[in-house]
Amino acid sequence: MAWELASFSSDLLPAQIEVDGAEVEVVRPGEPVRVTHVLDAVEPRVRPDGRPAFPTDGRAGQGRTNRLAGVVVLSCLDFPGEERPLHEQESIIDLAGPGAPLTPFASETCVVVSFHAPDGARNEDLETHARTETLALAERLAATTLDAEPDDVEDFELAPAGDGLPSVAALLQLSDLGPLYYQYVYGTPAGQAELPRIADPAEVLDGAVTCGEYHWAAMRNPTVFFQRSALIRALYREHGKRLRFAGVVLMRGYEQTAEAKQSAAEAAAVRAQELAADGVVITTDAGGNSHTDVMLTCRACEQAGIRTTVILAEETDPESTRPILTDWVPEADSIVSTGNVEELVPEWKPERVLGGERLLDGTPAAEAGPIPVRNYLGAANQMGQLALGARAQ
Amino acid sequence: MKAVHYVNQFFAGLGGEDKAETPPTRLEGAVGPGRGLAAEGIEIAVTLACGDDYFAEHEEGALGTLLAWLEEEKPDVLVAGPAFGSGRYGYACGTLVAAAVERGIPAVAAMHPENPGVDAAGKAYVVPTAVNVVGMRDALPRLARFATALAEGRELGPPEEEGYIPRGFRRNYVADNVGAERAIDLLLAKLGGETRTEVGGGLDRVEPPVPVGDLSSALVALVTEAGCVPQGNPDHLHSVRAQGWFRYKLDGEETMSSARYESVHGGFDVTLANEDPNRLVPLDVARSLEREGRIGRLHDAFYTTTGNGTPVVTATRFGREIAAELRDAGVGAVLLSGT
Amino acid sequence: MLAKEIERAGIPAVYVTSLPTVATMIGANRIVRGPAITHPFGLDPGERRRIVERALELLESDVEPNTVWEIDR
Repeated sequence: MAWELASFSSDLLPAQIEVDGAEVEVVRPGEPVRVTHVLDAVEPRVRPDGRPAFPTDGRAGQGRTNRLAGVVVLSCLDFPGEERPLHEQESIIDLAGPGAPLTPFASETCVVVSFHAPDGARNEDLETHARTETLALAERLAATTLDAEPDDVEDFELAPAGDGLPSVAALLQLSDLGPLYYQYVYGTPAGQAELPRIADPAEVLDGAVTCGEYHWAAMRNPTVFFQRSALIRALYREHGKRLRFAGVVLMRGYEQTAEAKQSAAEAAAVRAQELAADGVVITTDAGGNSHTDVMLTCRACEQAGIRTTVILAEETDPESTRPILTDWVPEADSIVSTGNVEELVPEWKPERVLGGERLLDGTPAAEAGPIPVRNYLGAANQMGQLALGARAQ
Repeated sequence: MKAVHYVNQFFAGLGGEDKAETPPTRLEGAVGPGRGLAAEGIEIAVTLACGDDYFAEHEEGALGTLLAWLEEEKPDVLVAGPAFGSGRYGYACGTLVAAAVERGIPAVAAMHPENPGVDAAGKAYVVPTAVNVVGMRDALPRLARFATALAEGRELGPPEEEGYIPRGFRRNYVADNVGAERAIDLLLAKLGGETRTEVGGGLDRVEPPVPVGDLSSALVALVTEAGCVPQGNPDHLHSVRAQGWFRYKLDGEETMSSARYESVHGGFDVTLANEDPNRLVPLDVARSLEREGRIGRLHDAFYTTTGNGTPVVTATRFGREIAAELRDAGVGAVLLSGT
Repeated sequence: MLAKEIERAGIPAVYVTSLPTVATMIGANRIVRGPAITHPFGLDPGERRRIVERALELLESDVEPNTVWEIDR
């Protein structure tokens, strides 16, 4: 069944926005603002047929969905107390200055939601509240489109494609690291969502995958990256031209034992075989440990006769000439680099800071000096959303 | 501008392989290829030279002497080479420029991109050259231009603009397409038979296999990269950039006699090796140890190639092919000699 | 390169070379430093025996990657 995505003007964004337990500010493109402690970024979406925009049961990717184009909800939360789970893992968006091109948000209208974090509250409860409220807000904000005319309607359907074209699938790695480090499939943490599973690509674009994963900012994949997946959109575009889009496999990553890593990798390769894929593009979430998962997945696919290209960020000391990757297998001979997260972005002094005046290490966010790419939300994301790359000099 | 130039014994005019043991030497003004650099405007105050073998075998001492002279001269730039495809000369050039850069002296070497000296150069710049001296005329003007830029302290751009071999520093840039589109392009190219990557795995490491449990019952094979072949080189093993490897039956021979074997390696002076080829392939001692029961049995053939300017992919292929034969023959341990 | 590929096949290989730094760069694991480029296994049988015995010991040893052993003199 086909799915339609209708785009509406950002002018439809409501003037009054309120969220329980949070401050809300709307920032227009170009304003000299730094946003700190960013958890997630979500595009406002609603379904005219009344089903939820981010379903927990039922199926996404069918019928029609409305989107507010050029608008993104940014949820921010500075976890309280000494028990900060996300030590060091600052997450910043600059809406102007040298850091602005590192994220896709500076050219959009940002609805910045700063959640309060009362002392004594449990981190996991705060996170659950912020995540569900943010998705609910994204859905509320798009409600104004229900009585409006869309600017554009896109149709997502895979017509039969020529036999001679190579069959290509996308293998999306979702984080199963633990609470505060999960991605969700239909509201269920990746580890309990019966992964790996084959998904209709339209499901991914239509809110089936959401993010509650707050690891290294530059290497995480917020909800909006699934809603707007450049990889899935490009595969739709190329379908019937240079390739046949075989489908999507959602798989677990960031497993905690060698055995779990190996079996997740092998099971994902089996799903790719079921799709009769000649080749797969494998995406990654977060760094370090999850790079082992992607390498094992690459190897399992290649051993099953499926050619692979892997999307990876680099974590290399800018003053070192080696080594380059955290983990590597010889089968990984085709890698897209989404940039070196350890490079520094020059100092910039914003006029306003939202989300929290101090960074996690206590530095005033307005006077933070140079900041590593690592701390910019999605800057070196390994779903291939952005044009950043790294090359040898 | 004040430059110091480093060359090996051959390019300093001191002699060929027979002079490879020459210790560090200091010469006034430009010598050999340095005259070509001088013609391009590089003012060479001093030329430092060292024998290739001397440097390799006394690295610490040779480097110390050369650096002391360098610090005395305080040049605006150190230029080393061109070393072309010569592994030992390239290694000396690379090691010296790396050490100079550590001490704050701008330095550039020139050599073939597959020369191991490129790795040794670390953070210093290396200008690529042809694999042999035929590339001298092409290399010197580029090397001179680059050295001038370094001496003047000009800010240098990316490798393809400035003409140096990437040193491995990973710098961010904005590509023409988003990563997802680049990934699809790479995957389709790979499916079409052309594999490319934006980032390599760095060094391909192999975990050391578990040690030999009992050498006294193991089958041991002799392998060499030192170009050891039967007299007359019947299979035409190349002295440089080998095209293949060879297996020669030992037929129970007790020693690598000079009447039957020689080395055709083109990267070192083979006089001593040809007097007694056991100096490269220790068959005489291995037979004794076999008789004494220290090792179980010697594999009745030795494997040979020339490790001299062989590209990595080719050498890797040789290794895999030889390894497959050894495994099939039940070999449990390998004694391998290089140079 | 040969040493690495032979070890990749699971056969312990000891590499005798007078250029151990280059050997470690290309990923050899069991390296014995030979006395000279022109004669990695020494000039006379006595010296050669010491080098070979040292190499055999390395074949019998559990090692970290890129291990270089010197010859006792």
